[in-house]
Amino acid sequence: MRLSHLSLTYFRNYARLELNLPPGVIVLYGNNAQGKTSLLEAVYYLATSRALHATSDRQLINWLAKDDPIPHARLVGEAETQQGKKRIELTLLTEKTARGSRLKKEIRINGISRRVMDLLGHMTVVLFLPQDLALVEGSPSLRRRYLNITLCQTDPDYCRAVNQYEKVLSQRNALLRQFQEQGGRGDRSLLTFWDEQLAQHGATVVAGRYRFIRELEREAREIQRDLSGEHETLRLRYQPGFDAAAATDGQMSFDVADMGVSTLPQLPPKEITKRFVAALHACVSRDIARGMTTIGPQRDELRLLVNGHDLGLYGSRGQNRTGVLALKLAELAWMREKTGEWPILLLDEVAAELDHYRRSYLLERIGQAEQVILTTTEPDLLPAETLVDATRWRVTDGTIDTALAS
Amino acid sequence: MAQAVPASVTRLIDEFSRLPGIGPKTAARLTYFLLRAPDDQALGLADALHDLKERITYCSICANLTEQDPCPVCSDEKRDQGLVCVVEEPLNVIAIERTGHYRGVYHVLHGAINPIEGIGPDQLRIKELVDRVASRPVREVIIATNVSLEGDATAMYIYNKLHGAIRVTRLARGLSVGSDLEYADSLTLAGALEGRQEMQE
Repeated sequence: MRLSHLSLTYFRNYARLELNLPPGVIVLYGNNAQGKTSLLEAVYYLATSRALHATSDRQLINWLAKDDPIPHARLVGEAETQQGKKRIELTLLTEKTARGSRLKKEIRINGISRRVMDLLGHMTVVLFLPQDLALVEGSPSLRRRYLNITLCQTDPDYCRAVNQYEKVLSQRNALLRQFQEQGGRGDRSLLTFWDEQLAQHGATVVAGRYRFIRELEREAREIQRDLSGEHETLRLRYQPGFDAAAATDGQMSFDVADMGVSTLPQLPPKEITKRFVAALHACVSRDIARGMTTIGPQRDELRLLVNGHDLGLYGSRGQNRTGVLALKLAELAWMREKTGEWPILLLDEVAAELDHYRRSYLLERIGQAEQVILTTTEPDLLPAETLVDATRWRVTDGTIDTALAS
Repeated sequence: MAQAVPASVTRLIDEFSRLPGIGPKTAARLTYFLLRAPDDQALGLADALHDLKERITYCSICANLTEQDPCPVCSDEKRDQGLVCVVEEPLNVIAIERTGHYRGVYHVLHGAINPIEGIGPDQLRIKELVDRVASRPVREVIIATNVSLEGDATAMYIYNKLHGAIRVTRLARGLSVGSDLEYADSLTLAGALEGRQEMQE
């Protein structure tokens, strides 16, 4: 799939932009802070309704818009996909409420008003950011976010489950805190509803993640082998915060500390739900004492192992880069297999972070994609083969000069 | 610094701004409107507010807002006192009354179970409902809480308290009248599929 037209109003540093995009590789170049990454973000936002960083969405609206009676930003994208043309319109409004203001998103797909959740899957993207390198060493929450964003694009059931899970979890935690404050007293039957909801949605999340990681590993292993000259074998280890495979009726040990490699077999969701509920019951005293839910996918971990060694702990900088690159390229292949077409590729300053060999490998792998949008401050760093057929646009202070297209 | 605006004006503006959906600008507009309005209009509003707080109480049977106790619905002999519809808010009663198809009575909970907001069964009129079912000839309880996580939690809690004793039902979920399948959101549609019914003549 590819984006054929993009229109922005008051988005980041773009006051107004109308842009026709060709297929193939588009290189956005220019100095820092001119709007290269913001353009990638606009495409990413149309696909996922998420900003690049887990920070406030409010900054997406251009400061010029603050003088407007209703400060807003508007993004419109027209995509060509195998299911035909799609027009995605997204309006961000700041709404005044009793407690200040909040951001409201309005979404139209082919002119029909939709909910935020229904946006996912219409336009699929894979994003490479320089800070993705932190994926290996950074906190587990980064890896969970990665799992969620990727899975949500292709699996609406997963997306719904993960959203519901978050809501139920905060309600259950609030209830646990109440019990904690009352010194463990209170009507514990109140937990029943939340336990069942948590387990039901949690089972979908765990099953989705397990399936995804297994499929991703198959792709990633091959790529890592290529990248390392056959020297390295990459493994992805899923460490669920609730291990349904270990939780048989007779024995239950859920110490997060000694979770090993999960051997979660293909259990039916009903069975996972049942075991999850039982596990929640088993650790209710501990949960009350801590005032929070201590098991479940909110504590999931994903570790990368090379030749049996944990990359996050023992990997060199170079190895980590290769690992992340393999993971990202695997995601690309996986998404293509799931949806039957190439997602749109967005690469932000990735060239600068990779050495010559890895850069060439990356650009060769993605060369076949329908559309690649990449940003760089130094276009000369890119291999000549990539530049030959590429469209080159210079970005200066919120405007894109398409006249210089080569 | 001298005050450009008299204190009683700022006081009313402040009071208005505390209302939901009203910001400082609307509050000021309303205040100046009332200032210029004829006395009977402005004082009529004050009177209405006064009455609201003076006269309105909760019905001792159904906990709905009322000026007389028991409320007109609970004391209406033509209504079926054995059929009780449980709703979250007094406004929900108005919605169900508008259908013109309901001849039973109500029970207003004044909220839904929501641990984050600190609302548990004790903060709602659930105990009153259980007592009512035990002490009066109630045949069926229709649970009409909202279709949300909190509404579902409340429904489940009430069901656990009442089932076995009497018939407990819940409003059906499905498509709204006049809706186009194409525009229905997937969750509603999935619910409608699940709750499909045998066709009848």
